[in-house]
Amino acid sequence: MPETSKIIEAIIISLHVSFIATLFAFSLSIFFGYLIATRQFFAKKYIVSILGSLTSIPPVCAGLIVYLIISRQGPLGWMQLLYTPTAMIIAQFIIIFPIMTTLIINYIEQEYPQVKEELISYGASQKDIVMLMIINQKSIYLTIVLIGFGRAISEYGAAAIVGGSIDHITRNMTAMIALETAKGNILVGVTLGAILIVLSLLMSFGINYFRKND
Amino acid sequence: MSFLKLISTFLIFFSISLQARDYIIVQSTTSTANTGLLDILSERFFIQTGIEVRAVAVGTGTAIANAKKGDGDILIVHSKLDELNFIEEGFGVERFDLMYNDFIIVGPKNDPANISNKKDIADVMKQLASSKYKFISRDDNSGTHKKELLLWKIAGLQVPKDNSYLKTGSSMANAINVAAEMQAYLLTDRGTWISFKNKNNLKILFEKNESLFNPYGVIAINPKKFPHVEYQKSKKFINWLLNGEGKQLISNYEVDNQQLFFTYN
Repeated sequence: MPETSKIIEAIIISLHVSFIATLFAFSLSIFFGYLIATRQFFAKKYIVSILGSLTSIPPVCAGLIVYLIISRQGPLGWMQLLYTPTAMIIAQFIIIFPIMTTLIINYIEQEYPQVKEELISYGASQKDIVMLMIINQKSIYLTIVLIGFGRAISEYGAAAIVGGSIDHITRNMTAMIALETAKGNILVGVTLGAILIVLSLLMSFGINYFRKND
Repeated sequence: MSFLKLISTFLIFFSISLQARDYIIVQSTTSTANTGLLDILSERFFIQTGIEVRAVAVGTGTAIANAKKGDGDILIVHSKLDELNFIEEGFGVERFDLMYNDFIIVGPKNDPANISNKKDIADVMKQLASSKYKFISRDDNSGTHKKELLLWKIAGLQVPKDNSYLKTGSSMANAINVAAEMQAYLLTDRGTWISFKNKNNLKILFEKNESLFNPYGVIAINPKKFPHVEYQKSKKFINWLLNGEGKQLISNYEVDNQQLFFTYN
């Protein structure tokens, strides 16, 4: 297939963008998830339910929001982010951050009360407790990371709006599937679709493998 | 503290995009991108000058709207009236004739509406207005959509409102896909049609009529309006397209041994 190099490029762009988005979303969701879950404060239940409803934000909406912010006329227009991979990362971050944070809050709220007393009595600081909870339950966090990553890499709409589907730069796998199918290159579309499915299969096998070995 | 580290990572990460740009953004109609022409032009231009050309392929209407917001450096579209308005409103520097091809009307091979033997575009549109034949409209303010609206007007007809008039709101190639699937008629530019791979029982039924002329224009976005645009680089690209190797590349560009776009002499 003459498009092979383009397909590989699209896969690399997809992996790169979604990996960084997941990385940021995970670090921030650990931070905020932990903050929210371990504290009692006035707005807590509102924040939790807002995050919960944002878990189902349609990718195109997230894309539109980011577009309005980073377009030239938007508040961050001066940063020249529109039509760059960075813009796609931000959009995917907005899609997966609520999902990952909600999952982490749920998990910590269950687990934290059980381990808190004991660990504090051993002289553990708050930071130690978080680290211990992550280390002890690697597979749960890994699952959360893979859920976020899976959602980010398979989304179409957000990255297409803010990335602009520019060849070599922001044309990720889903944008390329849409474009090639539209052009009537069904074979390329099918190939990419198959690769995407294989990727997500590999990820879910990975999750199960880690679960068993934990 | 680790949170501060995180914030600074974010800032470093974003600051990458704050450097001076060594690329230009082209807001383009879908036909130039769907045919693969822009890929070839930008590849060659990059090799020669080191300036990257990043094409955002949207409909003419969207491209113009994006350009009016300052999201782009160059506009390549095909709706001359809108282009002249764009200049008049001060958004563009100057409009140049880039290239041309023509529109065609395609439809099912057996031509149920019997338009292939018509001589006049008005007669064709009158035939198609009948609710018996499905017609696909782009409905996205693209150059092709605007042309289609103009053709209804030339024929003295209202735009059909019944169920046989289907609005897809998608790119040119996508609309051909829909037409192929539904065995419907549609207006398309010849370039996208030739490079489209899934023709599936559709064929050209009406063509080579002077009302179907399709000129493409190229405009550099005005640096006086938007100081951030890369005007010098844009000018270089436009000159290269109009007089340099770009011009040859356009007229030499072929798909299935057919020339897609024609330059002016």
